[in-house]
Amino acid sequence: MNKEQTIEELKNIVKPYIANQEAFETLTEETDFINDLKINSANLVDVILDIEEKYNIIIDNESMERMINVKAAMQIIESKLSEKKIDS
Amino acid sequence: MIGNDIVDLALAKKESNWQRKGFLDKIFTQKEQLLIVNADNPEVMVWNLWTRKEAAYKIYNRQTNIRGYFPLQLECFYESETLGTVYCNGNNYHTETKISEDNIYTIAVAEKEYLLQIKHINSVTKITKKNGIPFIIEEFTEIKKPVSISHHGRFWKGITLEFNNPIII
Repeated sequence: MNKEQTIEELKNIVKPYIANQEAFETLTEETDFINDLKINSANLVDVILDIEEKYNIIIDNESMERMINVKAAMQIIESKLSEKKIDS
Repeated sequence: MIGNDIVDLALAKKESNWQRKGFLDKIFTQKEQLLIVNADNPEVMVWNLWTRKEAAYKIYNRQTNIRGYFPLQLECFYESETLGTVYCNGNNYHTETKISEDNIYTIAVAEKEYLLQIKHINSVTKITKKNGIPFIIEEFTEIKKPVSISHHGRFWKGITLEFNNPIII
């Protein structure tokens, strides 16, 4: 999976929860979920659950802790997906 | 150090489905989930505990400079509907919660005595930010005072600490 594709998929996931349209439109890897996109911190759980469902992965507490920006989310998705490949 | 957090219950109902599969497990410990399922109004308990965690996190974040998403590490010790403590990695914070019909509001402090020194500020108060952390500068004394702000839906709350200097006679 390439980066651009993951970013697009992530954008679709966060879209229902964002409160800053401008930051959403100019989203990059550095975009912060709470400070930039103004996602309500209670909705960050929904983002995490949506990612779990979409990729059929489990985001453990350690990974969740880092889940504050696009870059971290992408790294976590990538590493969980590769763990899955090894397991199967 | 102080922290506050408010939840607009009508907006929370719209924004969050706390009954969604996995939602409670990601945020609340088993003990906290027991409080929720046994509560007369589980939804109010969800946001009661959530505002405690958020308010305490604001202090923890300022004390340690650690930023992250770890609601399970902020453990609520529930004394009553209005009082309790939140424990996080060796730190204890005292919380005071107010429940009204349309919102739930929690103030957290690092030292229990601070609860008596909380002063509410309004949204026109000049707030300065340094490294993302808000404070106000008192006009005459130029003393920097910590500030915590929370807004959600229809509600805005800001607090600072009123230092009560002992009167020397």
